[in-house]
Amino acid sequence: MNRGGVITSARATFSRLSGGRSAGVNGTARAGLVLVGFLVVFAIVGPIVAPNDPYTSDFARGVTPEHLPIGPSAEFWLGTDRLFRDVFARLAAGARVSLVIGIASTVIATVIGSIVGMLAGWYEGRWLDTVLMRAVDVGLAFPFLLIVMALGAALERTTAATIFLTLGFTGWLGIARIVRSKTLQVRSLDYVLAAQSLGQSTPRILLRHVLPNISGPIVVIGTILVAQMILAESVLSYLGAGIAPPTPTWGHMLFEGQDYLGAAPWITAAPGVAILLSVLGFNLLGEGLRDALDPRKS
Amino acid sequence: MKRVLRRLAWAAFVMWATVSVAFLVNNALPSDPARMVAGQQAPPAAVEKIRKQLGLDQPLRVQYVLFLRRLVHLGPSSIAGPSDPEHGSCANLGALHVDLGRSYQQQRPVTTILAERAPRTLLLAFTAAIVQALIGVTAGVIAAVKKRKTADRVAVGLSLLGVSAPTFVIGLLLQWVFAFKLRLFPIDGYGNTTAEHAASLVLPAVTLGVFGAAYYTRIVRDEMIGELSHDYVRTARAKGLGKAAVVVRHALRNATMPIVTIFGLEVGTLVGGAIITESVFRWPGIGSLSVNAMLDRDGPVIMGCVVVTSAVVVLSTLAVDLAYVILDPRVRRG
Repeated sequence: MNRGGVITSARATFSRLSGGRSAGVNGTARAGLVLVGFLVVFAIVGPIVAPNDPYTSDFARGVTPEHLPIGPSAEFWLGTDRLFRDVFARLAAGARVSLVIGIASTVIATVIGSIVGMLAGWYEGRWLDTVLMRAVDVGLAFPFLLIVMALGAALERTTAATIFLTLGFTGWLGIARIVRSKTLQVRSLDYVLAAQSLGQSTPRILLRHVLPNISGPIVVIGTILVAQMILAESVLSYLGAGIAPPTPTWGHMLFEGQDYLGAAPWITAAPGVAILLSVLGFNLLGEGLRDALDPRKS
Repeated sequence: MKRVLRRLAWAAFVMWATVSVAFLVNNALPSDPARMVAGQQAPPAAVEKIRKQLGLDQPLRVQYVLFLRRLVHLGPSSIAGPSDPEHGSCANLGALHVDLGRSYQQQRPVTTILAERAPRTLLLAFTAAIVQALIGVTAGVIAAVKKRKTADRVAVGLSLLGVSAPTFVIGLLLQWVFAFKLRLFPIDGYGNTTAEHAASLVLPAVTLGVFGAAYYTRIVRDEMIGELSHDYVRTARAKGLGKAAVVVRHALRNATMPIVTIFGLEVGTLVGGAIITESVFRWPGIGSLSVNAMLDRDGPVIMGCVVVTSAVVVLSTLAVDLAYVILDPRVRRG
């Protein structure tokens, strides 16, 4: 039912993007799209084309005579790590982890944040709005990293699912605030009032009239949120509170490489560059979408 | 006045709520504190004795009430020292005591550990804030004045890169360049002398400041572009004031308020960044303490860190709100 509306407005966004008025808007979004596309292709194809297994230590070919990790070569495209495993294969496997967690947690957070924000905005000033927004205030005052780490620690063994559930269920606060303010703007517009006076039920109005008209900003925040979630996942695994090793994660690869910064900088450089480009890609895409939606800002 | 009181009550409520949630989460951690304190080899009887001593045999709500009562309470104005049976783990300001218990790992009072570490985090955050403000305001003003020229494009591009670059990636990059290749600064740690502290401070402070610097560049740029388009700027120019004087004395002064607001609201980001920065550089502050406590499941220390960090965040937003009430008559009346 409401899908038609969301898709139409998303399509309008993209056509405005590709039609583009200024080179700046187009350039930002396009650069983001290239980086994100590259990440997706790398996550899908990387593990297939990687010549070595990401979990196996290669004591025969992956070691220098001084018993150090070997640098980038024809056999190990990005060298080996401190346990003489293929860095390229681990980077590719880690890309899947980052992308899956980034997108899954964003979907959860966006759905919760949109529902909470729309309800609070619709019932502005009433008890439901007060309760929801006060809860958001408390949540935003909480040291986010500490609670995510504590939840991770409370769950004994962490898997990809526990991480994206934790991030998704704690990451919706900011979205709720923005969706609430957008709902407030839309709520008193003529077509909403018309739908109300026709006797349509509140859930139906929210889904068919309000949601489609605030879907643009939601898409923008969601895109930028993917970047934050990828970052949060890598921070958690860097600090030792993420997915348990030996599963390759970019954050843990950084942690493992830190002691070899001088002898084997490629162990750190590979995941570092990967995280930077992924976060940059989703940020650029989000910025570009925002500029396309809001012509005044460009 | 009523508004101020309501705001204070709300701040107190937020503090209580975060501490309570932290208490619950902390309690769900799979660990046996009594075993941790007694040691791995201790006989079961000794473990049970310590469990009783710590009050861990009590139901959760009794422990919770006890925790809150001990957190802030009244007591004698002078404490005999850590050996005091009643107030040994307290920190006090006159008769007002704050008690967070003892660390399971180190056996020392949590307040003592926090008092030892907090100044270092404060030093790091303060230096980073200066780095942020200096770079952010300078780059933002230049970008606004040179709007759509090369300098602006470079500043905007770099700021987007800075906002996207994860703290720990920047930290590791700086370590590699300035500690390994150029050997200008120590790679990590805190050092023993004042000179060593200062040298060790440089890389973490810059690392922590990069995000804020990039963020401020954008905010200051947008604010300044707005201010520079006002009529009073044209008037000031028309009456013969130099461009630099107009930019700094007129426009920048008017753009100060929103910048200060954002500064206050971003303290939370700085706190979060400090946790990561301190871990990368092994800087012995509150941030690395909280990570280690979490990994060691050291309950009282975790609670101490949550209390301190959420207090900082709540107080800084409170300060911003109150500053608004005092400075802006429209808010005061509303």
